[in-house]
Amino acid sequence: MRIYFRELKANFKSLLIYCGIVVFFVVVGFSKFSGYAENPEILQVLDAMPAAMLDSFNMNAFNLTTVVGFFGVMYAFMGLILGIAAVMWGSDIISKEERDKTVEFALTLPVKRSTLITAKTAAAFTNCLILALVTWGMNWVVAGNYNPDQEYYRFLTQGMTVLVLLQFIFLSIGVFLGSVMKQHKRAGSVAISILLGTYFLSVIAGLKEEWDFLKYLTPFKYFDPSLILHESRIEPVYLWISLGIIIVSLAGAYITYSRRDLYI
Amino acid sequence: MNIFFHEFKSYLKSAGIWSVAIFLIILIYFSAFNTIAVEAEDITRLMSSFPEELLIAFGMNNMNFGTLLGFFGAVFLFCQICLAIQASNYGFSMLSIEERELTADFLLPKPISRGKILTAKLLAAFLALTVTNLSVWVSSFFVINLVRDGRDYDTNALVMVLGTVVIFQLFFLAVGMVISLLMKRVRSVIPLSMALAFGMYILNIFGNMLGENTFEVISPFTQFDPNYIINNGSYNYPLAMISVSVILIAIPASYLLYQKRNVASAV
Amino acid sequence: MSIIEVNNLTKYYGKARGIIDVSFNVDEGEIFGFIGPNGAGKSTTIRLFLSLIYPTSGEAKIFGKDCIKYGPEIRQDIGYLPSEVFYYEGMKVLDLLKYSASFYKKDCTKRLYELSDLMELDLKRRIDDLSYGNKKKVGIVQGLLHSPKLIILDEPTAGLDPLMQQNFFNLIREENQRGATVFFSSHILGEVQRLCSRVAIIKEGKIINIQNIKSLQHDNYKKIRLEADHLDEKAFSFDGISNLQRENGVLSFFYKGDINKVTKIISGMQLSDVIIEEPSLEEIFIHYYE
Repeated sequence: MRIYFRELKANFKSLLIYCGIVVFFVVVGFSKFSGYAENPEILQVLDAMPAAMLDSFNMNAFNLTTVVGFFGVMYAFMGLILGIAAVMWGSDIISKEERDKTVEFALTLPVKRSTLITAKTAAAFTNCLILALVTWGMNWVVAGNYNPDQEYYRFLTQGMTVLVLLQFIFLSIGVFLGSVMKQHKRAGSVAISILLGTYFLSVIAGLKEEWDFLKYLTPFKYFDPSLILHESRIEPVYLWISLGIIIVSLAGAYITYSRRDLYI
Repeated sequence: MNIFFHEFKSYLKSAGIWSVAIFLIILIYFSAFNTIAVEAEDITRLMSSFPEELLIAFGMNNMNFGTLLGFFGAVFLFCQICLAIQASNYGFSMLSIEERELTADFLLPKPISRGKILTAKLLAAFLALTVTNLSVWVSSFFVINLVRDGRDYDTNALVMVLGTVVIFQLFFLAVGMVISLLMKRVRSVIPLSMALAFGMYILNIFGNMLGENTFEVISPFTQFDPNYIINNGSYNYPLAMISVSVILIAIPASYLLYQKRNVASAV
Repeated sequence: MSIIEVNNLTKYYGKARGIIDVSFNVDEGEIFGFIGPNGAGKSTTIRLFLSLIYPTSGEAKIFGKDCIKYGPEIRQDIGYLPSEVFYYEGMKVLDLLKYSASFYKKDCTKRLYELSDLMELDLKRRIDDLSYGNKKKVGIVQGLLHSPKLIILDEPTAGLDPLMQQNFFNLIREENQRGATVFFSSHILGEVQRLCSRVAIIKEGKIINIQNIKSLQHDNYKKIRLEADHLDEKAFSFDGISNLQRENGVLSFFYKGDINKVTKIISGMQLSDVIIEEPSLEEIFIHYYE
């Protein structure tokens, strides 16, 4: 589909930039790791910290001194970067027609609006996939320096797959916002606010017992990396919630965009 | 000045939202304080024997979770991220808005020099940021006193930390301005401001691992690290000077660049 | 004193040409037309006047002062109507007009309301909700409310309905009679013909002609149209005849030269109808556009 390819081309520069960021992050991250590798003192430190604190930094199940452990900790940050990319691509790809005033071109073509959304979402999702692949690839290659065992590679692959799902959640939310919001200029800010807000929630969710329910509200907490590592699974409940969010958001996007008045 | 009022009005809603958001962040974060504080004494002892790298990585070096101010350090870091995003947003959008919304044909043919336009916009943005700054001050004092439960804290240190907000904001505002003027066309502000804000944040976390203090020093997050100030009772003057210099260079540079800019308009 | 003085004004956008070596003068009280095909450099020239962009070389002076150096000062008395009108979001018409008026040293309130009345503007509406034509009307009021001495128009009537166009032109004429100089860029030649006294033609960045409207038409040719039963084209095949066309019982051509040559031939013919007229600006200029 021509729209799909056109959007891929148009977003290419942005994709490159995010890939660059990921590459930088992984390289620098692992060079930092060299400071931890096989360092027994650190283990002591971690054992002594209160669970709440560790939870905020996602460290409670990980042995920071191994590659696997380190990755588990970095997982949250990577989720953040990939999430930002996804939500921005999602909201931007729809609202750009109104922003760049190309509405009178793109939306008067002999194409249904729903087809337009499908093509654009697919293009944005492709970008997310590529970004995830690059992340996966970098983590694979750079970790090689430290000779991790099979467990790491399995963890990496499964972890990244799950992150793709996370991306899809945020992508859907972004697409929804871009389609629904009449004030299209705000779509990006709202998308980022939601992302930052859920990240904040994920940080504080572990601080107090009573706040545990916040886990349901923030996608960053849906997929527990320690569970993935040790049991190769995620909790089904969250899978359903994720699918729910995705379906509702996309459905909402399709329905509202098809009916909405588009002005310049 | 008319431009000043017009611009400031357009910032009101945004400044309001950020101010409330920061208040909520400080409030919510601190409400967990009491849980943490209980176990804090144990941590403190062990922390002192920790390897530097680990602590630095999670911004926990020099941190003392058990104390009010120690905890505040972590909270403040999150606030700094928000402040950075807000100031970057204002910086990048301030001078590019006429080109993005094609209103250049309205404003620039008016009988007013580019310099005056920039001054008005700069002041308006700064005032808006100051509103948020005030919120940080008020929220911090209010919340800390709310949860203090009879504990004492060093007011001076707190004031010193809060005092960094102004320069911090100015840094992102000025850098955002200058970069936007160096670009031929600014299409979308958010990716740029996120990149600047998060870029500086990540630089702070990772930078010091790349080699003795090379990159990290340009990041305001490093220069105005709350824990440093709390523990040392003073600012890190050499580092702070870096930001000040950047601001002092960026602002006149912006004037020059804006004066000379060939402004794109609708046709 | 010339109100506008342009000397070898040149602007390159990187390698792309904007305008090259443009020179002309506009005198006080004139309505000066500035025409040319798309992309010729009309808007570029205007933007240089207003220091939205800066020249590569050459200079432009308005009211005797350099446009760049004395920009803010001279713009106190310049009114600009751009071809496409965009305003800040969320403002009502009245708010925008007041904001615009606040830049000028004089009190524009009376004129503001006068003009709004004339253009039938609803001051309470939000600008975002206006149609393109209505936004243009706001643009007109906004450009004129400070009673400027020089009015710069860039495709001013695009989007206006014919009645409003009439109003607009009357307005411009009135301003002109009050002493304002008008610089009028357009490629709707009928408009230019109606309003302007002098005209400069720009093409591909260069001025190719500056002339009086009257003499432009006069110096050119006459359009002649003959209707008759028996038409002999060969009778009209001498020097000065061009564009000879024959359609049914109608013979038309352009003629430049001694008109008596033609009238002699015509007088010997049995005609049912004859039209001899000056060509419209359109017809003259199409050849410049080619």
